[in-house]
Parts: sequence; C-alpha cells; structure tokens
Amino acid sequence: MKKQQAILEKDKKKESSEEVVLELQDLNKSFDDNHVLKHFSMKLYKGENLVVMGKSGSGKSVMIKCLVGLMEADSGKIIVMHHDITSLNQESLDILRADIGFLFQGSALYDSMTVRENLEFPLRHHYKKLGKNVNTETLVIEALKNVGLAHTLDLMPAELSGGMQRRVALARTLILQPKIILYDEPTSGLDPITAKEIIILMQDIQKKYNTSSLIITHDVDCARVIADRMILLIDGTNYAEGTFEELSASKDPKVKAFFKQ
Amino acid sequence: MEIGELTYFTIRFFKEVFRRPYEFKEFLRQCYSIGNRSLLLVGITGFIIGLVLTLQTRPTLMEFGAVSWMPSMVGISIVREIGPMITALVCAGKIGSGIGAELGSMRVTEQIDAMEVSGTNPFKYLVVTRVMATTLMIPLLVIFGDAIALYGSYLVEHLKGDVSFALYFNQVFDSLEFGDIVPATVKSFFFGLAIGLVGCFKGYYCKKGTAGVGIAANSAVVFTSLLLFIIDFIAVFVADIFYDL
Amino acid sequence: MKNTNSQKIRLGLFVIIGTTLFVLAVYLIGQKQNMFQNTFTISAYFQNVNGLQKGNNVRYSGINIGTVKNIVMTNDSTIKVDMNIEEGIIAHIKKNAIATIGSDGLVGNMIVNIVPGKGTDEVIADGDIIASYSKIGADDILSTLSVSSENAAILTSDLIKITDAMIKGKGTLAVLLNDTIMAKELRQSVTNLKVASRDASNTISEINQIITSLKTNDNTVLGMLLNDSVSGQNLKVIVSNLEASSKQIQNVIANIDTTIVDFNSGDGAYNYIVNDTTLVNSLQSTLKNINEGTDKFNQNMEALKHNFLIRGYFRKLEKQKEKEERKKQQ
Ligand SMILES: Nc1ncnc2c1ncn2[C@@H]1O[C@H](COP(=O)(O)OP(=O)(O)O)[C@@H](O)[C@H]1O
Ligand SMILES: [Mg+2]
Repeated sequence: MKKQQAILEKDKKKESSEEVVLELQDLNKSFDDNHVLKHFSMKLYKGENLVVMGKSGSGKSVMIKCLVGLMEADSGKIIVMHHDITSLNQESLDILRADIGFLFQGSALYDSMTVRENLEFPLRHHYKKLGKNVNTETLVIEALKNVGLAHTLDLMPAELSGGMQRRVALARTLILQPKIILYDEPTSGLDPITAKEIIILMQDIQKKYNTSSLIITHDVDCARVIADRMILLIDGTNYAEGTFEELSASKDPKVKAFFKQ
Repeated sequence: MEIGELTYFTIRFFKEVFRRPYEFKEFLRQCYSIGNRSLLLVGITGFIIGLVLTLQTRPTLMEFGAVSWMPSMVGISIVREIGPMITALVCAGKIGSGIGAELGSMRVTEQIDAMEVSGTNPFKYLVVTRVMATTLMIPLLVIFGDAIALYGSYLVEHLKGDVSFALYFNQVFDSLEFGDIVPATVKSFFFGLAIGLVGCFKGYYCKKGTAGVGIAANSAVVFTSLLLFIIDFIAVFVADIFYDL
Repeated sequence: MKNTNSQKIRLGLFVIIGTTLFVLAVYLIGQKQNMFQNTFTISAYFQNVNGLQKGNNVRYSGINIGTVKNIVMTNDSTIKVDMNIEEGIIAHIKKNAIATIGSDGLVGNMIVNIVPGKGTDEVIADGDIIASYSKIGADDILSTLSVSSENAAILTSDLIKITDAMIKGKGTLAVLLNDTIMAKELRQSVTNLKVASRDASNTISEINQIITSLKTNDNTVLGMLLNDSVSGQNLKVIVSNLEASSKQIQNVIANIDTTIVDFNSGDGAYNYIVNDTTLVNSLQSTLKNINEGTDKFNQNMEALKHNFLIRGYFRKLEKQKEKEERKKQQ
C-alpha cells in the first residue's frame, strides 16, 4: 500500500508537468454475471509507453475497446484528449478516432482485400484529416516502407506470414498519423524473433512520430523492452503500477506470478 | 428473443439504407459475388428441376392424354412456385451461409471493429450492401433459374414429344398471366431480403471463436430456409387477397 | 480487387440479360392478354355463362382474338359479357356474328366463341352488341325434339291400332262412320297429321342437311355444339327416330285414306254395323289423343325449325313477348 501511495504521488508530479492524453476513471464492465472490469482507473501521459499487463481473459481487450467506444462501459468516465467519449455523437467520435491508432490482437486485416486496399481503407473516411490533396498512393507506399513491406502491395493478407500481417496491420494503424496508438497484444501469436522485430518497429515509430502508446500484453519480454511505466490488471482492477523494475521486484505473490520465468 | 433481435436488425437496416454515404462500390462488388457467382449453381439446379419435373409428370399426363398440357403446367408451376423457391433455397445455402461465415469470421477476427475505428460504419459497409445486393440479385437469379428450368423442360418435350421451341414457349406464355409473374417477382425480392438479412444478422452477431463462425453459417442457412417457407406461405395468402380484389 | 473492370462488365451483362428476360416475359404475357394492343369492345347477352371468367379467351373461327373484359348481371336472367377484341380483326367480324360459350377441351377453360353469321352484313364497330346463342337452349331443344318423337311414336302406334281394328273388324268402322261428327274429327286428324308429317319430313331433311354441312364446315353454331359435346350424337339419333316415326305416320295416313275411300264408295258397308260401344269409346279417346299429339308435334317442330334455321328467333320471340307483356301491363 505504501508503494501504491508512492506511485500516486509520483503520478501527481507527472500530471503537473505532463499532459494526460487518455484517462479512465472508475470503469466498470460486466457481461451478465461476469464482472470483467471493476473500478478500473488509468492515465496515459503524452509521449509515454504504458504497458498494461494481465492474464488472458482478464479483460484487457475489453478495457481497450471501451477506450475507443467499440464497447460500452456500464459506468465510469473515459476521457480521450479532453473529450468524454461516452457523450460524443458518432461524427465527433469518428473524428476523435482518427487520432487514435488501434492495432488489433490478430492483426484484423480485411482478408477480402489486398494489402493496398487494407491500407487505403482508413483513408476512405479520414482523408479530410490529412489535408487538401494527399496522394493515397504515396501515403500507402510510404506506410508500407515504414514497416519494410513495400513489395507486398498487391498481395492478399492470406499470402503473408503472421509477422508480415502484423506489420501490415501496423502500417494501416499508422497511415492516419495518430497521436495515440493502442496495441492489443502486438506480439501474441508470433515467434520470439518476429515478436522482437515488431517491438523494435514499435520503438522506431514512437521515436519518429512522438506518439503516446498504450500497450496491452501478457508478454513479459515485450514489457521489459518497451515499458516506460506498467499497470497490472488483476481481478478487473488496476492492481499495481510502476516501472518494470519496480514491479518485477515486488513481493506480492500475485504480482510476482507475472515475472516468474 | 432472436426474432426480436432480428426485427431490430431489420429496422436498423431500413434506417441506414437511405442514409448517406452510400457504399456503392462495395455494393457492386457484392452484387457480382452474389449474382454472377451463383448463376452457375442456380442454372444447374434449375435445369435439373426442369428436366425432372417434366420427366416425372409425363407418364401421368400421358395417361390422360394431356401431354400437350405440359408447357402450361410446368410453366405455371415453375414461375409461380418452384423457380423462386428452389433458387432461394439454393441461394440460402450458398449465399446465406457465405455471408454468415464471412461476417462471422470478420467479427471474430475483429475486422468489423477495425472498420469501426477507422471511421467506416461497418453496418453500412458490410450489412447494407450485402442485403441490398441479395434483395436485388435473387430476383434476377430467379429469372435465370426459371428460364433455364423451362429450357430443361422444353428439351425433354422436344426429345420425347417432338415439340418445337416456338410451340413450347408459346404455350407457356399462353398459360401465364400477370397474376402468376407479379406475385412471384415480389416474393423473390422478399426471399432476397430474408437471405441477406438473416445471413448478415447471424454473422454480425457471431459468438467468439471459430465454433461461433460455424454456428453462424449453419444457423444462417437453417433459419433462412425456414423463413423462406414462411414468406412463401404468407405470399400465397397475400396473392390470393390481391386476386380477390 | 483484381479484374474489377471485367467484373463490372460481367455484372452488367448479368443484370441486363436478367432484366431483358423479365421484360420479354412481361411483354409476351401482356401480348397474350392484349395489354399492348389497341382493342375495341363488343358485348353479348347470355342467360348462362357456364363459369366464364374475366380474362378467358375469345375466339373467332378458332383463332384467339381477345379476352373477356367484364361479366355483369344486367337483370335476374341476363348476363352481359364484354369482350376486348384485337383491332386488327375488326374488318372480319360482321354485325350478325354470334357469340357462344364453350369449353376449351374436355376439362379446359371456358371460352367465348364468335362465329360468323349467315349472309353478309356490316362490319362490327366498337361497343356493338352481337347476338348470342346459349348452349343450354340447344339442350332444351334437343330434349323437346326427343319428346316430340316419342309423341309421334305413340301417335303412330295408336293409329296403327285403329287401322288394324278397321281392317279386322269392319263393323266398328261402320259405327264410326255413321257418326258424322266423329268422321269429321277423324278426317281433321288425318289432315293435321298430314301437315305435321310433311313439316316433320321437311324439318328432318333440313336438319340432315345441316348435319352433313357440319362435317365439312365447323364454323356454324351447331358445329361448335356438335364438335365439342356428345349432344351431336344425341341429335342424330333423335333425327333418325323422327324420320322413322314420320314415315310410319305417313303409312298410317295412307291406310286410313284408302279405308275411307273404300268405305265411301261403300258396297254393303252397313252390314258390318254393330253396337260395340266400348270400341267406339276407345276410338274416340284415341282420336282425341291424335289431335293433341299432332298439335304438340307441330308446335315442337315449329320451335325446332326456327331455332336451328333462323338463329336468334327465340330472342326475337322473347322480346316480342316482353313487349306484349309490357303493353299489357301498360
Ligand atoms: N462480447 C463479449 N460477450 C461476453 N463476454 C465477453 C465478450 N468479450 C469479452 N468477454 C469476456 O470478458 C472477459 C475478458 O475478455 P478479454 O478482454 O478478451 O480478455 P483478454 O484480457 O485476454 O483480452 C473474458 O472472460 C470474456 O469471456
Ligand atoms: Mg485480448
């Protein structure tokens, strides 16, 4: 408890100096009798890489989907860049979403479309955001180059390996140049080497565009490399917060369980 | 309970159909994959139905010396009932399950969520286009199915009874009336609507996991087929009422 | 999407061919129902339409020329049938054409047959009313025909009995001839019979003529009747019955004539006069029968003649009757 208080103090300090881009307050979400999220709160500061770790089935995806309005929370406040998304209409929500990149757990590439069409898809609605006369062609190629897959332009997702799919998905997430990127288990389902490649790519992007990232994972290696700060989601609530080092040194058995190798 | 949800889904469809933006390109793509890609299947089934119907009826009609009635009889039964129903059932199997599985897997792999966060209304992009496409393509497929079934029936008559093409189709159109073709066409639109709506509904609200996709595809076919018979039943009543007026 | 353009073309073809097929079907059906053709309307009155419905075909000499547009009751016994007729056929239908209702095959739909009338007349015009001919009426005539032939047969057998009696027992005849009233009656009956049998044989020969003409030409009303029903066969049987009985009647008359002539020139006829009252009585009633029978026979023959030869005679008669009734009422 002392530690948590310490963290909270540290938070307060940060708050004064840094801008909060994303905030969850007292979020509750249940499916029938399954109370997935109980009083979950969290803040994401500008430019930081926040890792939320939790067992599978602990409600990480539910939490992140509530963040972008894909799911409706039962109660609680969700504030994204000073907007309470629960009170937004569809149009302003869409405009806000253009500033949030979302990398889905299984890549979620549209498998009836080519890589090019996949990347063009977000531009259908949000091309306005990028200004006057953007050339979608160059945008798409540039985004693909960023992830090193320019040659896959006219392939179908099914023709790509899992790692390549993930990278294409990343390129699709980046094409709108979001200010916040939400990663839902970016390394899940990939072999360690490919996972590492993805992590390096994520770091590159963070440097290049100075984005704020919320990374959800149950992969300790991933967290170790990328986390500026971590939150442990246990029993539907923010059980512990801190840097990787702080949490890995914790004596709490529930926390310890995550870092056992 | 499911019927309530489906009703809500249908209402939502009609609300969004007329609202901009129209996903015209995707609509055309769906028309192609629903219309053209089913043509062969519908054609083969129609042809066989035409053949079989004629071959089976022939001995009975011959007993009464009424083989010359074949074109009228087959024509009316195909145009009024068999053509629309068989085509719709075949399409429920092919298109309904296809849509159920496709949208189901899109739901499970979060592609639908991905669409939503990238600012495209997935209901409009996926559901409205598909339902519109089935609603407009099924009647066309029914027309093709009818035509091919009648051609199959003509072939039998031609080979067995030496009936000429002109005579056969002259007799078919002699016996047909607007009272046959109009209800059948209207019915076909509803068949298309049902196939699209149920397929999309099952897929759109697919349960997580690959099992969910299977269930979505399967129950889309089962539910659609049942619905087709119910619509057919209602259509007969409604057509009767209109006839009486 | 690869090949989007070829897909678009194929989709376009699919839609165009599909709609063309549909439009073609609609057009063909519409053509059969005269939807896209200029039509004019003619009407006919019937007593009975035998289940005719809107949309049933109208045929002229066997060709489909239109459809039934409307069927309305105009009063408790008359039904007006309006028919849409193709304009192109107008030049061929004359005002004296006759409409009948028949069936298309043994179990087929009801149809209206229009047959050309005899002789020439003006070309029909829009809104005209043509004469009709009820099949039911024909059946009625056939039944009266058979009744009259039965009557004739009874009559003949009675006469035969009389002449037999005359030949066998000449005494009866003497009684008979003594009674002058009775003799007058007998003579009257014989002349009646003569007239009747002459009429009958005329009618029969005319009917026979019609029947033979039917074999070569099916376009008459009777042709329609005879060819699509069993009544043709009935008619033939009745006609031959009639023929046979009229021959018999003629024979009987000849017999009576000779007997009377013999009697008049009479040698010793009075010898045979006896008082057989029963025989006289029976003879009297027989003669009554003969009178009644010949009257009926004549009536029947008259009706028959007018019906077959002068079509629409019944209608005229009815109208006359109606007029008379109206006059009476007034
Ligand atoms: N749409 C849904 N309907 C019902 N239950 C759901 C739904 N989505 C998630 N859940 C439940 O919520 C819990 C958390 O799921 P999820 O957030 O996907 O886990 P994870 O942390 O592995 O991403 C699970 O128990 C799951 O069964
Ligand atoms: Mg998850």
